[in-house]
Amino acid sequence: MKLPTPAFPRERRRRGVRGLLPILLVAVAVTVVAAGLASAQRRWVVAFANLTEEPGATLEGTGFTGPEVRESFALAARSYPIDLVFYDNHRDDARAVANAEAAIARRVDLYVQYHRGAAANATVAQKLKAAGVPVLTINEPVPGVPLYALDNAGAGRMAGEALAQFASRTWSGQPTVAVVIGRVSAAAERVPERVGGVTEALRRRLPAARLTTLDTQGNPAQVASLLGAFLAANPSRKVLIAATDDTTALACKAAVEAAGRARDAAIVGQGVDRTIHGGINDRKEIDPTNRNSIVIGSVAFYLDRLGYEVLPLALRMLRGEPVPARTLTPHKLITAANVFIEYPPYDMN
Amino acid sequence: MVRTALVGAGVLLVILSFGTVALAQSDCSKIVPASPWGPNDQTGATNRVTAAVTKAAAAEIQTGKVITMSYPLVDGVPLFGSRFTKTILTATSLAPGASFGENELTYMEDTWLSQSHVGTHLDGMGHIGRKDCYYNQTPMGKFINQNNMTKLGLEHLKSFATRGVLIDAVKVFQAAGKLKSNAACKKPCLDKGTVITGADLQAGLRMYNVTLREGDIVIIHTGWGDLFEQFPAQNATYNSGAPGIGKDAANWLVSQKVVAVGMDTWVVEVIPGENPKEAFIVHNILLTDNGIHIIENVRTDLMAAEAASTKRATFFFNMTVPKAVGLTGNFVAIDGIQ
Repeated sequence: MKLPTPAFPRERRRRGVRGLLPILLVAVAVTVVAAGLASAQRRWVVAFANLTEEPGATLEGTGFTGPEVRESFALAARSYPIDLVFYDNHRDDARAVANAEAAIARRVDLYVQYHRGAAANATVAQKLKAAGVPVLTINEPVPGVPLYALDNAGAGRMAGEALAQFASRTWSGQPTVAVVIGRVSAAAERVPERVGGVTEALRRRLPAARLTTLDTQGNPAQVASLLGAFLAANPSRKVLIAATDDTTALACKAAVEAAGRARDAAIVGQGVDRTIHGGINDRKEIDPTNRNSIVIGSVAFYLDRLGYEVLPLALRMLRGEPVPARTLTPHKLITAANVFIEYPPYDMN
Repeated sequence: MVRTALVGAGVLLVILSFGTVALAQSDCSKIVPASPWGPNDQTGATNRVTAAVTKAAAAEIQTGKVITMSYPLVDGVPLFGSRFTKTILTATSLAPGASFGENELTYMEDTWLSQSHVGTHLDGMGHIGRKDCYYNQTPMGKFINQNNMTKLGLEHLKSFATRGVLIDAVKVFQAAGKLKSNAACKKPCLDKGTVITGADLQAGLRMYNVTLREGDIVIIHTGWGDLFEQFPAQNATYNSGAPGIGKDAANWLVSQKVVAVGMDTWVVEVIPGENPKEAFIVHNILLTDNGIHIIENVRTDLMAAEAASTKRATFFFNMTVPKAVGLTGNFVAIDGIQ
């Protein structure tokens, strides 16, 4: 029996495959380069659904506003191949879901969700996942979604450490008390975590200092009476004051001065918004020329730079690169010594 | 005797240790690059304005039309920070009998109290540094007295008689469909925070078929100067930020070996900057690292209009900078001659 003759002898076929190989390699290389170029040149549409755009409404128990957050995204996007679409969640669950639906209809490439409400956030994430749109969430954990969040406890510890260090350096051996003051019970904004951080640091570093918590319930006008009474009750003690936000820190300074106790007090705020740091002309409390202020510093929350932190993560997700499940704000203590390094003054006004 | 020797040695040790610290603080060799024109160079990019460059630029004068490129310097114009400019009429001969001679000569004089970086002005080599290190690795702390700098003053600059090239960024952004104007501008303008890239500059040059030459001065029209012209009504808006070049464009201009970069904004570079933790970084790139001058508050709208009508964006750049010894900059008048 004769075996059928192959259409092409084996050797000839090998030669044919060998001949095709360079062509295939070139084709693959061209495809890879083209894909790379397309990826390098591609612009992405990223939706940012902000917590609220309400003018004057502050976020996260700090002095920052929604428009400042949105502006930070717009400014950060200048350096990336990203076109932004903005939505306002209005702190409203139904609106948050509707915004996500609108973004899906618009075929955005990625969705950044900033909303407070577990059920709505889960619905938003589910809808976007079904539509194949990756999601990144801010400050509110959503299962299976990368989170960018403030580290309230860490920021609190930083404030507590700064106060303790000041006390050890300046008032060593003198009776000292400490007070945490502000919206201390604002659980939705995680201010209690901030308070916990301060408490932990102070107890560790200054175990002898008695710690008191004063709740202004978000009304800085309450500071004068609450802190005034506290100062009066501690006439011969040094006083460390951890304010939960910058407005409260400045109100504390006024109260301490009104009580004639400026030599006995040191204050640290939280946030570093424009009420406490200024620029070339609008000198504020934390300023290189005001190094002896009793407001020794404030812990930066960088909500005015949120876009600069979040968009690089978004871009990594869009490029298929892995991102951490949780990324925390790199809080930093801002003082007169580093305020112009961290916040270079650039405006003429 | 021994005690005296010990005290002397101690004092010497203290002096030496302070000296060492001072030397370390003033070693600028790792902070600022060396000038390509040598270790003694205090001139910077005007070294590029050679006789050949000026002669070639003169060929730009074809119709003789002179276009002003500076704004009036008067009370009320926007000024950076706490800067001021004020004139006082300090001598007159109006009093009876105060005129001189039979011809009864009378005269007027004034005093100009002003900071130098006001109105249309030039930033000199000594204006911007990094960690006290300025152009050509100059540790400026060693070269100042109560009145002025003793290095890098304006007296060291050469001529600016070279070719000017206008880049109309408004047209570039309009053509690309990405112009976002500011509501306060009466004419189209790039809004504050708008980054002009190297690609944008090259697109602007292509619009007028221009290729940059070594020794050119590049003037960029953003339309933001419209707010300056509305002084004092729009000073706050004008001062609140600016469109401008980013780091990419600055580095591209450096590669083109230009002499100066001017713009109709108070800062030339984009504000807010690309990186919020960097302060006036384009100033560092151009002035500190490369000796390229910055000219701020240039009136560009007239030249932009002229370029649009004549289809020619090049001109003879006519600007004289006073030999103001030790000054970091000065207000200037600029004419563009076509």
